[in-house]
Amino acid sequence: MLHLIFYFQVHQPYRLQPYRFIHIGKNHNYFDDELNRKIFEKVSDKCYIPANNLLWDLINQFAGRFKVSLSLTGTFVEQARQYRPDVLASFRRLAQQGGVEFLGETYYHSLACLFDENEFLEQVRMHSRLMEEEFGTRPVTFRNTELVYGDRISGLVSELPQFKLILTEGADKILNWRSPLYAYKSYSQRHLLLLKYYRLSDDIAFRFSDRAWTEYPLTAGKFVDWILKLPLVEKKKKNLYLNLFMDYETLGEHQWSETGIFEFIKHLPEYVLKRDFVSFSWPSEVMDSLNYEPEALSIPTPISWADTERDLSAWLSNSLQWNAVKTCYNILRRIKESERPDLLEVARKLSTSDISYYMCTKYFQDGDVHKYFSPYSSPEDIYIYYMNVLADVEKRLEDGI
Amino acid sequence: MRALTLTWEFPPRITGGLGMACYGMVKALLRLGVEVDLVIPADEEVYFALRREQDADSLPLVFADPTQQKRLGKKVTAKEMVSERIEFFDVYYTPAKKWLVEELVEYAPMDSSLEPLLSYLTDDHPLFRAVRAYTALAINIAKRLDFDIIHTHDWMTYIPGILIKGISGKPLVAHIHATEFDRAGGPGDRRIHDVEYIGMQSADRVLSVSDYTAKIILQRYKVAPEKIRIVHNAFTLQKAEKTKERMFREPLVVFLGRITLQKGPDYFLEVARRVLQEERNVRFVMGGRGDMEKKILYEAASLGQGTKFLFAGFLAREEVEQVLSAADIFVMPSVSEPFGITPLEAMSYGAVTIISKRSGVAEVVKHAYKVDYWDIEEMSSIILDLIRNPEKLREASRRSMEEVARLQWEEAAKKISNIYTELQEGR
Repeated sequence: MLHLIFYFQVHQPYRLQPYRFIHIGKNHNYFDDELNRKIFEKVSDKCYIPANNLLWDLINQFAGRFKVSLSLTGTFVEQARQYRPDVLASFRRLAQQGGVEFLGETYYHSLACLFDENEFLEQVRMHSRLMEEEFGTRPVTFRNTELVYGDRISGLVSELPQFKLILTEGADKILNWRSPLYAYKSYSQRHLLLLKYYRLSDDIAFRFSDRAWTEYPLTAGKFVDWILKLPLVEKKKKNLYLNLFMDYETLGEHQWSETGIFEFIKHLPEYVLKRDFVSFSWPSEVMDSLNYEPEALSIPTPISWADTERDLSAWLSNSLQWNAVKTCYNILRRIKESERPDLLEVARKLSTSDISYYMCTKYFQDGDVHKYFSPYSSPEDIYIYYMNVLADVEKRLEDGI
Repeated sequence: MRALTLTWEFPPRITGGLGMACYGMVKALLRLGVEVDLVIPADEEVYFALRREQDADSLPLVFADPTQQKRLGKKVTAKEMVSERIEFFDVYYTPAKKWLVEELVEYAPMDSSLEPLLSYLTDDHPLFRAVRAYTALAINIAKRLDFDIIHTHDWMTYIPGILIKGISGKPLVAHIHATEFDRAGGPGDRRIHDVEYIGMQSADRVLSVSDYTAKIILQRYKVAPEKIRIVHNAFTLQKAEKTKERMFREPLVVFLGRITLQKGPDYFLEVARRVLQEERNVRFVMGGRGDMEKKILYEAASLGQGTKFLFAGFLAREEVEQVLSAADIFVMPSVSEPFGITPLEAMSYGAVTIISKRSGVAEVVKHAYKVDYWDIEEMSSIILDLIRNPEKLREASRRSMEEVARLQWEEAAKKISNIYTELQEGR
């Protein structure tokens, strides 16, 4: 059997205001509420609402044989509560319908795993609690922010025994000759690893509407043909997993509705499900469907799904990013020592990885992607705003305000 | 006595020290009874007839940011402030190029030394286009006015100054606030050097803001020594009472200015690095913009000192005041600074100043630490000493405030007024 595993990332960060030096000590509103609301509204109308409706219809139509998994960050859920309760309700409806697996991650979409292990565990626990409260489900599959994963992270996640599986990138440098279609195990054998099949995922996420692409336009029929031609598919004895991981905003936001992306998703299940050896699956079902002993992969250096490097360089390569991120975790630690719950929440919102992503200065083709996602005119500007905000938080901490 | 004053900056149109210096100087001249007809770059043919001291504060706010004003359609507001308005048209649409070249030939009998000006008036660089527009504006206005002296401030006003001298036959004063050598930190732009050279040569008097700049004028521009006069800048206290408004618990060390080679921002960063290696109880901030901004930003981040080194970006006038009122120590490590008025302003807010010896301001203040701009070691140890001895810092701060209160424009204005009289009497 070949199992198609769809996982969509649902995330919105708290974007910062142009917070200037002269605001320090005077203004404690760090986030651009107006911009955040505007973006949330826009993406809700273009993506969340229509995409949720589509998923709901498909799950109904195929009586549960169509399955997807979603990972919703805490900062997304909070903003949905604030700006668009109807969006949150529509995710709840999907949860009640039972066709969606909800994944676990850090509440704040942070890179805490690299800087503060306790904070990481706390943010993951916070997120699990949120999933239980909002959707009545306790995640068993873990996906770290931006699919960042390495041996140490598997070790950390072991402290949360609810998690049996971890999703990450099928980066060439960890796979070498291996295929991302097999399930693997972490070096410690404690977790199953599902690896993103990046070529086919990115065909949908990035290339779908690219008119310069030789395969344009991509249709559901063509995509399923490619799947059927995947090497190893004919060896029917071993169950294989085609992991299609992408941003949920691909549907309608990164790829506009006019590109035909919704039609594509709408027709995919009928092409898939008419083959008797292809089906849809949730990540957690792999534990049961797995019919071989997976190979253990050791990944000493963390990988991610970002940029061509598939490493941490999107968030941590220049001096701005390092100083910004280290300072944030330093302040977080100090806040915890001094028991300031009000500041803790702020500092955690500031730990969202998008902020250092905006500070990225790797140009070439990835620069365009970073620019697309950044609401700021330059990496230098956001660095200046961010450090000023941190200085104000620090000041409030020290002055006890 | 009436002076036609040409300047690129005057409040509210202001980007640097030039505007503040002109403001203080003009106010003091008005107090002495000198009348000033002021021409600043504008999209409309307008000038300001300043007769009383308070007139200097009356320029409409529409001049604050000329780029944001619609060029046509928006008339200068507050008519009562602009006592004599001539008809209104958009200078950008005058056929300035052709007209000016003819004007030059007609009124400035072709002296071969003026020839380069012809080509610069037709130069398409945005800066020269702006100069061309300003030149047309100033000449149109000057032709209808009656004045005794033409007073120009820095190179962008020299071309109209020379032409107006040709038209009116009145004496020309070239006031040097900065030369291209200071701005470029090296050879600089040949065109600007030419304009500066011809401007100084054509002027009847060349006023320098410091001994330091006078040397440059003498050596580099070969101006005849008898034409040069030194008139130190002073500082205008806007409010009598300035309050200190601290931003941080730690002492704050401030750099304010364009982030360019001339201002020595890289030395400031090095000083911060050294100080922070030895002392946590301190914070640094750099305000301003410029072509070295990115380089400094990345290097500052690589210090890995968290929020100890911050950036304030471009600051509007009242924001500058806010930062200065929070400053404990103000550092101006300029490589070359003809005058440098900001340290005086910082002193008025009680900041202790550390200033480059290569600055005009170092010639007029006593209570400031005067250092070689490259002497990182010296600057670091002064800062460390001050922040570790709060009593000493307080005492130095008090002295700074006292001293700057005494530095007034009266003296400078008297000198300038005497120079006007001298010229008027043909001496």
